[in-house]
Amino acid sequence: MSWQVVAYDLFSVLIYPGIIFLVALALFYQWVDRRVYARAQNRYGPHHTGPRGLLQPLADLIKLLAKEDIEPSAVDKMIFRAAPILLLTLVFTALFMVPISGTSAIVSFEGDLIFLIFIMTLFAILAFLAGWGSTNRFSLVGGMRAALQTLGYEVPLAVSLIGPAILAGTLSVSNIVAWQAAEGFWSILLNPLGFGIAIIGIIAIIEVVPFDIPEAETEIVAGWQTEFSGRKLGLLRLAHDLELVFVSGLVVALFLGGPTGPIPLIPGIIWFIIKTVIIVFIIGFIRAQFARFRIDQMVSGSWKYLVPLSILQIIILQLYLMI
Amino acid sequence: MATLNRENKIVDSLKEKFGQNLLEIKIQKPRRIFATVLSSALKDTISFLKDNFSINHISTISGVDMGKEIGVYYHLMGNKVEGYDNEIVFSLKVTTPKSDPKLPTITTIIPGAELYEREIYDMFGVVIEGHPDPRTLVLPDGWPEDVFPLRKEWKVDDIKAKIEKVGGDGS
Amino acid sequence: MSDSTFTIPIGPQHPALKEPEHITVTIDGEYVVDVKVRLGYVHRGGEKAFEARTYTQGLYLVERICGICAMAHQLCYANNVEGLLGITPPRRADFIRTIIAELERVHSHLLWVGIAGHEIGWDTLFMYTWRDRELVLDLMELATGNRVTHATNAIGGVRRDLTPDMINQILKGMRHLEERVKYYAKAVPAERTVMKRAVGVGILKPQEAVDLCAVGPTLRASGIKRDIRKDDPYSAYDETPFDIITNDGCDVAARVLVRVGELFESLKILDYCIEHLPSGPIRVRVPINVPPAENVSIVEAPRGEDIHYGKSNGTDKPERYKVRAPTLANWASVPTMLKGGYVADLPITLAAIDPCMSCTDRIAIIDIGKRKKWVGSTDQLRRHIKKCHGK
Repeated sequence: MSWQVVAYDLFSVLIYPGIIFLVALALFYQWVDRRVYARAQNRYGPHHTGPRGLLQPLADLIKLLAKEDIEPSAVDKMIFRAAPILLLTLVFTALFMVPISGTSAIVSFEGDLIFLIFIMTLFAILAFLAGWGSTNRFSLVGGMRAALQTLGYEVPLAVSLIGPAILAGTLSVSNIVAWQAAEGFWSILLNPLGFGIAIIGIIAIIEVVPFDIPEAETEIVAGWQTEFSGRKLGLLRLAHDLELVFVSGLVVALFLGGPTGPIPLIPGIIWFIIKTVIIVFIIGFIRAQFARFRIDQMVSGSWKYLVPLSILQIIILQLYLMI
Repeated sequence: MATLNRENKIVDSLKEKFGQNLLEIKIQKPRRIFATVLSSALKDTISFLKDNFSINHISTISGVDMGKEIGVYYHLMGNKVEGYDNEIVFSLKVTTPKSDPKLPTITTIIPGAELYEREIYDMFGVVIEGHPDPRTLVLPDGWPEDVFPLRKEWKVDDIKAKIEKVGGDGS
Repeated sequence: MSDSTFTIPIGPQHPALKEPEHITVTIDGEYVVDVKVRLGYVHRGGEKAFEARTYTQGLYLVERICGICAMAHQLCYANNVEGLLGITPPRRADFIRTIIAELERVHSHLLWVGIAGHEIGWDTLFMYTWRDRELVLDLMELATGNRVTHATNAIGGVRRDLTPDMINQILKGMRHLEERVKYYAKAVPAERTVMKRAVGVGILKPQEAVDLCAVGPTLRASGIKRDIRKDDPYSAYDETPFDIITNDGCDVAARVLVRVGELFESLKILDYCIEHLPSGPIRVRVPINVPPAENVSIVEAPRGEDIHYGKSNGTDKPERYKVRAPTLANWASVPTMLKGGYVADLPITLAAIDPCMSCTDRIAIIDIGKRKKWVGSTDQLRRHIKKCHGK
């Protein structure tokens, strides 16, 4: 391997479209999300730090990183310290498999879609572990709810994500994007139901209203995050924003053609940002429109409506392929 | 001005029913009746009012320090007749000696009185016999047991001095 | 207690509670098994303090019992002292009191609708209603000079007259509010997630509500027609036409609907009072010393009946002044509403009685003169903190 290849790999992992770029993107999306949410509520949202408040998420992150990190004496230290780092690592791992600047992601192999679905489940398991390790009653209830919520959204989400894979005949996210680019159409056209279910599923993954049940502020303080403070909380927040990039990027890759577009002159990254910002908009609006569900309503509703609908979507796709 | 038909009816039937036990009764103005009964007849009076005049709501229980005795007022409300009509506020007073203040619970008749009875114990030290949940309601834990703040002999400074001596920590 | 249950403490500091109280909830999974309420965290020694103050000073102390129902408490106090003195305020003062009291109800109910939305995670509703509530506060400021502690009442009347200009402004503001309230009345029940969280939650059956002596919208949402404004009319309510809003739902949704309905009724009352505002003086002079007497006055505060008992002894200070705010009356029914429900329904069920802890707690002792709490020295505080933290 020549040094140029190593340097290129390092550059793409660390800077573009790797860690630094992703963190910047995550903070930008946090800003978009907060602005959309605020405007929908007749507020301004962040508008002071930087141009139009763009630097506010960064300022918040720096503030949290600089704050005192309180570690209660009763916590399970290993889990408690590892949880934010593990979560951040997991999100980065997942993001490397999402095509961001071109049709191919930093890492891609046949079957990485299954791996991504597996990682999404790990998010909830980590949340449960973090809640358990905090030995706080609110954290514990929050962690249990996070695990319980997985039971609700995991199956319909996985089934709906498989839809595009069936169409493209491949289980690699990058290949699905390449197939869409080659075919010249987006799989959402055949997958409208799957797209809707995927949006609902990713809202549950990033735990925002109406599915912020594991961190329901008015019920269980901050849920599984209750005991985290300072640096750890900063990392958790960052991981949350990166999750937003990841889930919106994944939905864009699978349903909206990823970082490609009808006008060839515009680089892929612009397409990616436009499409993901639309997803973030949708999430922000849904967040402003709904009240929080109760955990039992969420799980039973999901099994009653989402699972049959997602299976119906798969059947439609199969019929289409048979014709 | 409104006629006092309902008020008079309540007063008359109470006089007839309780006779000696009813120490005093007066209609202060429309919709306001003040009465004093012996503490032994407290429960009977309240049941009687509830059963016959549907005075079924207790608004609060106030205590008054009257020197040697503690006066306890049960502010009852109700007596809404068919259709739409005003309610009557019936203030029933009993007294109990300050040296050994004791009253029966009325939660068996009106369950909503529970909190007020706890409050009257906190503030005046009136022991409510048979109360289902006799915890303190408003005073902090670690409050000195013999300080009943609304009794006249306890001045604010005395209470403060006492608490600092006991070392209450507000937990 | 079996192994499958454990207790979670809600409060004294908890995001679901805007004010300190402590509720020990025993839960089994997501179900509430038992509820124990501990009050008394914001005691300010109000009742003892009344005995050390003149009647006029008491007027300003009483409205500091609670910021939101300042007018209700002060009105109740003024009614009480006027009853002790045996005077009646001028009719114009009655109407002005009614106008301010109803404006307060509008502001309190709007605030509550927002809080209810926040408790179930719908912050958008919170932001919207609180924005509209600002308008009411502005009107209050215009009419009384203050946004929250209005100090409208004096013993024997009101402190400040309403000018035609103010009345125009209030009318204009009300038209806008009416539109907004109509919008909420349409939007809130139409939002399915809200109804999913509110219907069938926090059930309080009519018989239980009567037995446990619930008051105000909580009681009326259980289908019981009891409203002090009709039952024991004070100020201008004896001639003002309005309906009592009740609902047979007995749940949180019913409490929402009752409050939204009452918003319309309040606007109706405001309309009537402004239209029929009589002319004349707004205040009569009253003696400083109050002859020995006793009096019970009741006012329908936004949260329910607010009852004051006053006993005078011939001096300028009361012998005894007792305040019972509506929230205390509703606490008795809270365990009944919560038991058997979900943990997730706790905040909204609690919020549905519109608890106001400052109202509830008013009796313990602090030395107001020196502004020093009875807790004592900082050493004691430090010892306490150490004890809490174990080692």
